[in-house]
Amino acid sequence: MAKAFRASAGIMLAPAVTLIGVFVLLPMLLTVWLSFQDWSTQTPFSEASFVGLGNFHEIFGPTSVGRDFKTALLNTAIYTALSVVLILPLSVVFGLLVYQREVAGGTALRTVLFSTYMVPMIAVALVWSKLYSPSEGPLNQLLGLVGIGPQPWLSSPRSALVSIVLLNVWQQVGYFTVLAIAGLTQIPGSLYEAATLDGANGSEQFRFITLPLLRRTLLFSAVIAIINAVQVFEPVALITQGGPVGSTNVLTYHIRRVGIERAQGGLGSAMAVMLMLSLIVCVSALFAFVNRKDSE
Amino acid sequence: MSAATRSLARKRPSGRKALLASAMLLVAVASAFPLAWMVLSSLKTPAETMQVPPVWIARTPTLEAYEKVAGVINVGRSMWNSLVIASVTTAGVLVTSTMAGYAFAKYSFPGRSLLFSVLIATMFLPPIVTLIPLYRMVGSLGLSASLAGIIVPNLANAFGIFLMRQFIAGVPDDLIDAARMDGASELLILYKIVAPSIAPAIAALALFAFVYHWNSYLWPLTVLQGNADAYPIVISLSRLLSYNRGAVNTGLVMAGATLAVLPPLILFVFLQRFFVDSIVGSAIKG
Repeated sequence: MAKAFRASAGIMLAPAVTLIGVFVLLPMLLTVWLSFQDWSTQTPFSEASFVGLGNFHEIFGPTSVGRDFKTALLNTAIYTALSVVLILPLSVVFGLLVYQREVAGGTALRTVLFSTYMVPMIAVALVWSKLYSPSEGPLNQLLGLVGIGPQPWLSSPRSALVSIVLLNVWQQVGYFTVLAIAGLTQIPGSLYEAATLDGANGSEQFRFITLPLLRRTLLFSAVIAIINAVQVFEPVALITQGGPVGSTNVLTYHIRRVGIERAQGGLGSAMAVMLMLSLIVCVSALFAFVNRKDSE
Repeated sequence: MSAATRSLARKRPSGRKALLASAMLLVAVASAFPLAWMVLSSLKTPAETMQVPPVWIARTPTLEAYEKVAGVINVGRSMWNSLVIASVTTAGVLVTSTMAGYAFAKYSFPGRSLLFSVLIATMFLPPIVTLIPLYRMVGSLGLSASLAGIIVPNLANAFGIFLMRQFIAGVPDDLIDAARMDGASELLILYKIVAPSIAPAIAALALFAFVYHWNSYLWPLTVLQGNADAYPIVISLSRLLSYNRGAVNTGLVMAGATLAVLPPLILFVFLQRFFVDSIVGSAIKG
């Protein structure tokens, strides 16, 4: 049984707790503190001067600072929602394709799907920027073969953000497929046997057994997908620089531009705090939604 | 296929099987296509990359593009930097995670579950939330523009602690108590008794950490502030982008991307069992 080895516990925990405390928790608290300060990132923290809610007024205000932030917030919300809405159903469908035992090759498919998750995002961004190339890019060439005209992809404000969502989905869906498979293996086979005896067909079994029992897995997947989606940076920093006309300006990119490149540390921190609050609200709402379904 | 299995196969609805098989093939092709195209393009001549309709496979594969990459960025130096960043960080993560994981799994002490919850909460914190003050802090420590600045803040992470705690909890207490009876110190027990019995999980964590830090972009870019000598390969790649205007340099960019992709992908191909098992493990036990 576990025993009270207090001194040993202190030694064992010291490295990890110190490092996470200093390099994660402390900066997080500093971000919150800085969001109420006027502070240039070029200067020591001691130079910060308290401005109350001034930064928050500014980032939600009518000036260009406010307009840019609100655009970035909206773009991030759209990007995140689209990513989750595409990744979750695909991960279940792909998970079923890997998990089924009627046709061989499931494990090979899993390997192919998951391999994209190992690829550095920077390489993904480079490859897809070429795939999306309007004139000689392979995607438009392939669309041409099936009679669809060339798409502007990253070069149009209407399609640029969606194009980045698609490359994100391509990269990440394998990881979520593995999570879905983990959920599927937890469902007792006897449930399906009983349902078959009761005359339930495949789609009924999916609807009344598979989906409800995957709910916890999907909740976990949704949370991770949201956290991953707000981190999108490389394709934007490298290819679109937030454009065309701000259509791909997302929060991670925008906060870094304001807080590091323009050294407006107070404003950038206020934006980071809003991102943190939005995440807390979204994740809590998701949990509340799933828990209510559970109690139904 | 023997006659017997063929007749067996016929008993199943074969249309359904064909549909399943083609769906699987379609998904696999769509998933593999971008990386396959990347490698194939890196082997083409500039003329071939511009051709319409496209040439999918080079008539005579050439390493010309790779030579050109070596002319634009210092490939050896960048790969070495990436290797140092990824391996040193991984080593640190393994040490800090196994120690903390052991404490959380096998000791009881006041505030254990509170401390664990606080640490785990940091797992869900996007790095951008701490980036601005962290950038300033690392600068004040005199670590900016150096490999140490990239590595030090990442030597411990909540995911590692979580994963190690899950697996160490499964190590029998009798094993640990027996070693204590023999007078072994706690650190000795951790590295001689506990660690070997969760070797696959440690391997999984090592691979995860290595690939994650090999691929990591935002933090190195922010810390290094243009010190090209310390660039890992993923940051050096962005330099190829100034050569990225127009299709003439597609081969160059794809050759650079291939170089950055190969190490994590090779690790994955050989060790994917560990990756997959630990994801499944963390999801189910979590």
